[in-house]
Amino acid sequence: MDNVTDSLLDTYLFETNSLLEQLDELLINAEKNGDFTEDDVNEIFRSMHTIKGSSAMLEFNSLMEIAHHIEDLFFYIRENGTSSLNPQQKGELFNLMFKSEDRLREEVEKVENNEPLSVNIDSFIQEINNFLNKISNSGNAAQGEAKAAEELKNTDTPPFTSPEAAYCIRLFFDEGCGMENLRAFMLVTALKENGYTFTYSPQDIETDSGTSQSIINDGFFIGFSSKEEAEKASLLIAGSNNVHSYELIEKHEEEASPGSSAVQQNEAGTQKQADTPSPKNAAVHTAGKQNLISVNLAKLDSLMALVGEIVITESMVTSSPDLKGLKLDNFMKSARQLRKLTDDLQDISMSLRMVPVSGVFQKMNRIVRDMKKTLDKDVRLTLIGEDTELDKSIVDSISDPIMHIVRNSMDHGIEATREERIAAGKNPQGEIILSAVHTGNEIIISVKDDGQGVNPQKVLEKAQRNNFLSKPAEEYTKKEILSLLMEPGFSTNNEVTEYSGRGVGMDVVKKNIEAIGGVVSISSEEGEGTCTTLKIPLTLAIVDGMEISVGNSVYTVPISNIRQSFKASRDSIIFDDSGHEIIRCMDEFYPVVRLHDLYGIYDNVCTEIDDGILMWVEANDISYCLFVDQLLGEQQVVVKPLPGYLNNFSIKNYGVSGCTILGDGNISIILDIASIYSAVKNTY
Amino acid sequence: MTDTTHALTPQELIEGSEEAETSSPSESASTARFLTFVSGGLTFGVPTDQVIEIITNHNIRSLPLVPDYVRGIINLRGQILPIIDVRLRLGKPFQEYTSSTCIIILDIGADRIGIGVDSVSQVLTVDTAAASPIPLENRQKLATSMIATEEGKVVLLLDCNALTEP
Repeated sequence: MDNVTDSLLDTYLFETNSLLEQLDELLINAEKNGDFTEDDVNEIFRSMHTIKGSSAMLEFNSLMEIAHHIEDLFFYIRENGTSSLNPQQKGELFNLMFKSEDRLREEVEKVENNEPLSVNIDSFIQEINNFLNKISNSGNAAQGEAKAAEELKNTDTPPFTSPEAAYCIRLFFDEGCGMENLRAFMLVTALKENGYTFTYSPQDIETDSGTSQSIINDGFFIGFSSKEEAEKASLLIAGSNNVHSYELIEKHEEEASPGSSAVQQNEAGTQKQADTPSPKNAAVHTAGKQNLISVNLAKLDSLMALVGEIVITESMVTSSPDLKGLKLDNFMKSARQLRKLTDDLQDISMSLRMVPVSGVFQKMNRIVRDMKKTLDKDVRLTLIGEDTELDKSIVDSISDPIMHIVRNSMDHGIEATREERIAAGKNPQGEIILSAVHTGNEIIISVKDDGQGVNPQKVLEKAQRNNFLSKPAEEYTKKEILSLLMEPGFSTNNEVTEYSGRGVGMDVVKKNIEAIGGVVSISSEEGEGTCTTLKIPLTLAIVDGMEISVGNSVYTVPISNIRQSFKASRDSIIFDDSGHEIIRCMDEFYPVVRLHDLYGIYDNVCTEIDDGILMWVEANDISYCLFVDQLLGEQQVVVKPLPGYLNNFSIKNYGVSGCTILGDGNISIILDIASIYSAVKNTY
Repeated sequence: MTDTTHALTPQELIEGSEEAETSSPSESASTARFLTFVSGGLTFGVPTDQVIEIITNHNIRSLPLVPDYVRGIINLRGQILPIIDVRLRLGKPFQEYTSSTCIIILDIGADRIGIGVDSVSQVLTVDTAAASPIPLENRQKLATSMIATEEGKVVLLLDCNALTEP
């Protein structure tokens, strides 16, 4: 039972969250255009309706109430058209909607975290109602009249006038179960899914909550053309929730039998009519259901792991030492076929985890919009390359960093006033460009603003005041100065604001991005703007690696870290004053790091520079030469984390970042170039 | 396997048959089955429900910069497991791995680890209620209690958590 509720809850959360996301996007766009289109209004109405319905089913009352009142509000707007609102009211409506959306999100979050939902939402509901009253004041009288007329029609109890509903089921729901119209609608959908053709009354149950009352009073009528159908359907109805009682009514028996062709025709007509209120709705829903399913990420992870195993096992089989020297034409042919298939399998399973970054990008719209209001700056956000795809786990972890950067740009990137911008000869409206580009193995995401830029001198002075400098101030290059901005506790803004300036921004960004193997860099021209660039690997699970050997062990260096590999002679090595080796590459000097020294490998190892090979490696802004015995070749490897037990030892700080299984079943250790360097530096 | 454990003395045979009749659940409150192994001249026991499997002759990939008792990691059908040498963990001299050297894969809570031991002996059913704490002055690193078998041998009960503490 618990399992059922759990999966139901999962579905609910997924559905509600995606509806809220759609709503957010819709609101942003609508606000940009300054108005809701008819489609927008319908869309909001529909999504609120869905949220209301599913929340009611799971008894999340606060969510249901809020959605219910917004639905009422949009019901009014839909009836009267948005043109009935004056611009000021529209502005209020947008604010109210954003507020409601936040409120709904809060509640959903509480559901997610298993916290109790808010009980007291009356004041908020009141706010929505007040607004509704305000806008409906003018057209109230007419509205009231129409309603009265409608009610009159409803109480008339005319189940079906059309002759095809010869057999009619009249049912009542449990007293006081609430939302009778929705329950009726659920019943109608269930019947439709089971392939029954029927008419029902009242008709507009899905959209008009007023029909609840008539269902309570007079019952809900479902009309069938044949007795068999009606009987079968009554079984289904009997099994539905909250149905209190039902009865099968036969009538117009004599009328129904003659002129069957006319009846048939008529039926088609009414059927169509009955369907019309919701065709759009149905289309939207089925399209979503057919094309997408939501899968637990853990399942995809284990699929990926399994596919990784298959790739490894495949090469273990085909390059088995037992096959050496044998002429196996047919075997090799099948092996090639197998390789092709496993490659395809790997590609597809990788692509399963790929999602577009647009979800993250769209969120920024909202942030820019809110900050625009509070900071009173006129800024537009331009999104480029929204459909670029990234591994799901990476997308999740770049959301916060990007948000931080965008906030920074809004807060102290863009000039405080229009006048400042005009004086600087810029467009009075500021611009933030958020872009994603796919390049080979990496995604480059950049956040660019055309604001005031960074004054390197000021940054340097501040760093000096706060003792961030590790060498004389004159020696800092511009690139180094800008990377000071990412030091922990550094903030250029003199005042702390709601959004930024606490000095806990960029260092967290840097840490988060580095945690997923990415790199952050800042470039800026004073007066022209700042650009923060994130280089992020496409996926964490598979790395292009270079196999190297030191002594008897094999290590893997990620190809993306390697600049060049070369032989060097004893004479080209220079020593610094403390005896550390340095070598010159491309007119620059780089330290030499001997891996065997660092790892204490003594057996069977090359110690002479002439015998081994130097690998010029680079990570972030660190660059040095790694001395190893031999290059063994390039290979795509599946990264496996080290067993948790080994975290007791600080090997991660010494460049051992993970491991991988080679084609022959042996284990290779994947080196982290950046942490090797810091480990070596610590030993100096 | 109970055959091998319950060997020999007539007295014991009687006990054994009784045990079979009354069925183990009543006894299981205090009895448990232990896999015993020898390492560095000491006999240890580890509960069988923590033992996943015993492997021999596996290729161990050594790791840099770890204490010597961490022999390295192995690839057990795609799973990467760390190997701890019990001899070295006890501070005894290292013995080259031979064909009788075994790796016992243990399930310790969330982690799986392998322990390298000199040889695996047998599975014993012992009454844990009879286990006595090891005298403080003789305390072993990896065991907190010991138990005497019918054959007069003393089995130290391995404390798996102590094993993984650095």
